[in-house]
Amino acid sequence: MIRVRFHGRGGHGMKTASRILGTAAFLEGFRVQDSPLYGAERRGAPITAFTRINDHPILERGIITIPDLVLVADETLLEDPLANPFLGLHAGSLLFINSPTSTQAMAEAVAARHPTPARILTGDLTALTLEKIGKAQALSATVGAAACKLAGVIGMGALEKATRKELEELGLPSPLIDRNLEAALLAFEQTPRVPLASAPPQPAPLQGLVVPVYQPPARGTPSVAAPGNIILRKTGGWRIFRPVIEYDKCNQCWICFVRCPEGAISLDEKEDPHIDYDHCKGCLICVEECPTKAVVKEREVHAW
Amino acid sequence: MGPQREEMLTGNMAAAWGARLARAEYVPAYPITPQTEIVETLAQWFADGTMQGKFVTMDSEHSMLTAAGAAAATGVRVFTATSSQGLLYAFEVLYTVAGWRVPLVLVNVSRALASPITLEPDHNDVLAARDAGFLQIHCETCQEVLDSILMAYKIAEDPRVLLPVIVNLDGYYLSFTREPVAIPSAEEAAAFLPPYEPHHAFFKASRPLAQGIAVLGGFIYSYFRYQEQLAARNALAVHDEVAAEFARRFGRSYGPVEAYRLEDAEYALVMSNAFATKGKAAVDLFRQRGERVGLLRLRLLRPFPHEAVQAALRGKRAVAVLDQNLSVGQGGITYQEVAAALYHEPSRPLLLSCIGGLGGKEISAGEFEEVLELMKEAAATGQVPGPQLLYTEGEQTQMAHLLDIAGKEWG
Repeated sequence: MIRVRFHGRGGHGMKTASRILGTAAFLEGFRVQDSPLYGAERRGAPITAFTRINDHPILERGIITIPDLVLVADETLLEDPLANPFLGLHAGSLLFINSPTSTQAMAEAVAARHPTPARILTGDLTALTLEKIGKAQALSATVGAAACKLAGVIGMGALEKATRKELEELGLPSPLIDRNLEAALLAFEQTPRVPLASAPPQPAPLQGLVVPVYQPPARGTPSVAAPGNIILRKTGGWRIFRPVIEYDKCNQCWICFVRCPEGAISLDEKEDPHIDYDHCKGCLICVEECPTKAVVKEREVHAW
Repeated sequence: MGPQREEMLTGNMAAAWGARLARAEYVPAYPITPQTEIVETLAQWFADGTMQGKFVTMDSEHSMLTAAGAAAATGVRVFTATSSQGLLYAFEVLYTVAGWRVPLVLVNVSRALASPITLEPDHNDVLAARDAGFLQIHCETCQEVLDSILMAYKIAEDPRVLLPVIVNLDGYYLSFTREPVAIPSAEEAAAFLPPYEPHHAFFKASRPLAQGIAVLGGFIYSYFRYQEQLAARNALAVHDEVAAEFARRFGRSYGPVEAYRLEDAEYALVMSNAFATKGKAAVDLFRQRGERVGLLRLRLLRPFPHEAVQAALRGKRAVAVLDQNLSVGQGGITYQEVAAALYHEPSRPLLLSCIGGLGGKEISAGEFEEVLELMKEAAATGQVPGPQLLYTEGEQTQMAHLLDIAGKEWG
C-alpha cells in the first residue's frame, strides 16, 4: 500500500490533487481511496487530503497517520501545529516540499529545526504553475502530477486522463484545462523518481481505556468561560503577503491601528504602530488604508 | 402536609397548573391539537398577571424550542408544550438544547404521527425523541401530569443532571379528560421547588460565556455527549430523592415504574400512559377469577430504569409488553428496551410483544383476554410467538366495509 498525504491551504486545490492521484491510480488498475479533511472551510486555513493506493482491498479509513509520501504545497505549513506535516514520517517515506529552495538547503533547514527520519525533496511547482497557468495558488494539477510521479506506479497517460477528468468535473473551461495539463505533464517530467518504502507494520500499543465520570456542570458542559483565548490560535501562517511598516514614512495617524480587523496592530509609547505577525492574517487592509503608503506588502518568503 | 384543594381539571389544565406552580418565567408557544388548551391557558395567566414573566407566540415549533433552549441558557425557568408533528418539526432542536444542558420542561401531548394523519394518541411521537438527551416521564392520570411537571423541574435543575425533561400525556384520553386533581398551594410548591440558580449556563454581563459552541475532533464531541449519558443515569437516583420529598410534602408517591398487583403475579402486562388504566382494569378482572396477573407501568422512560424493571418482572412466567407504538421494520419499541433490561437475568420470563392502541385504537377487555391466553400458551409450550397486533375480527370487518365504501378492492 502507498499512503500519500497532501498538505495545503484552502484554495490550493489539494483535495483535487489527491483526486488526480486517486483517479490516475484507479485508471492504472489499483484499489484506491481518496478523501479530504477540512472543517470550517476558508481560504488560507490548513487543509489535508489523503490518497491510498493498493493492489488489494484497502482495510483502512480516514486520516493517514503513517504516510509513505507527504506533499506540502506551502512551506509555511511546515511549522503549523494544526497541519503537522511531519506526523508519522518514517525512514522509508519522502517529504516533498513545494519551494524554490534547493533540496540540499531545505534538508539542512529541516534537520536543524524539525529533524525527521524521512528523505526530503523540493521542487518549485509554484513557479511552474505561475508560468503555465498564471495563478500561483492553482496547484492542484502540478502537485497532483508530482504525486503521481513519486508514487512510482502511474504513467503519464493515466495522469493526463485523470487530470482532465477531475478538472472537467470542477467545470473549468477547456483552455484552462489545457494549460493545467501542460503544467501537469511538465511537473511529472521534472519530478525525479524516488523509491518509497512502506513502514513495517507495528502491533498497536494498548491504549488504556478510561471509565468516564460525571463532571460538575460548570466544567462538564460545552461552553467557554475563558475570555480572550483567541490569542492562543496563531493565524499568522495564513498570510500570502506580509504588511511591513516603513517607519520613516509613518506619520503616526493611527489609521492602520484603527482599521486592523484582527486587532493585530498595536501602538507603543511613542505611538509607533507594530504588527503582531503571530496573528496578522495578511488581509492588507492596513496597506490599502495607509495615507502615506508607509505600509507596504511583501511576498511572504518563509522561515524555511 | 399543606392544604391541597381538588378541582376537576383536564390533563391540559393540569399541565398548565404545573407550569404555573413551577413559576415558569418564559413560555414560547405554538398551538397544535390536542395541546392548544395548555398554551391558551398560560397566555391568559400571563396576560392577567397570574403568572410573571414572558409569554411569546412563535412561528413554528422549531423556533419555539430554539427560543426555549436559548432562554433557559440565560438562566430562567422555561416551560413549553407541543404534540406529534410539532415535536417532530422541532426534532433537531431537541438534541441541540439537550447538549446545551438546559433544564427546561417540555410537555408533549401524544398524538399519532402522519400518515395517515390523525388526532388520537399513540407514542411514536414522544418515543422518536428517546435518544435526544431529554429525560422522559410518561403519565397515566391528570394528577400525575401536574405532579410530574413539578418533579421534572427539580430533577432537571439538579446539578447532577441538568438535562431537559419531556412530560408526556395522551391526547384526548388525558388532554381533554377532566378528573379530580389536587392542586398544591403556591407556597407548598415553592417550598418544594426553589428558584433555579444555574452555575453553568447563565447570562451575566460581568461573566461572559460562549455557549452553543462548535467542536471539531471526535474526542471533544465524545466527551460532552457522554456527559449527557452520565447525567441521565444520575437522574435515576435524583428522581428517587425528588419523588421521596414529593411524597413527604404532598402525600403522592411515584416510582420510575409502577407495579400494580405484581407481587405474586405469574403473568404480567407492561404498559405506559393512559391506557395503563385499561390494563389495570383487566388485571382486576383476572384477579377476580383467581388468575395471578399484574401490570408494570413504565413511567420514567429516560433514563430507562433497568434495575426497577428487572426487580418488578423477576420470577414471572411470561410477560407481554403492550406497545402503543410501532418501530416500522422492527416492532414495539419498549419491548426491545424491556428485553434488553431482562437479558442478563439468570431466569428471565418469556417475553411477548403486542402492538396495540395505534392511533388511539381501543384495547378492549376481550383483547386483554387474548393477551393472557397468548402468555399462558407460551408458558405451556415454551414457544414465544412473534409480535401480535391487537386488532379484532370486528375491526377487520368494519375496515373491509370502509374500504368498500372508499371504492377499494379487498384482496
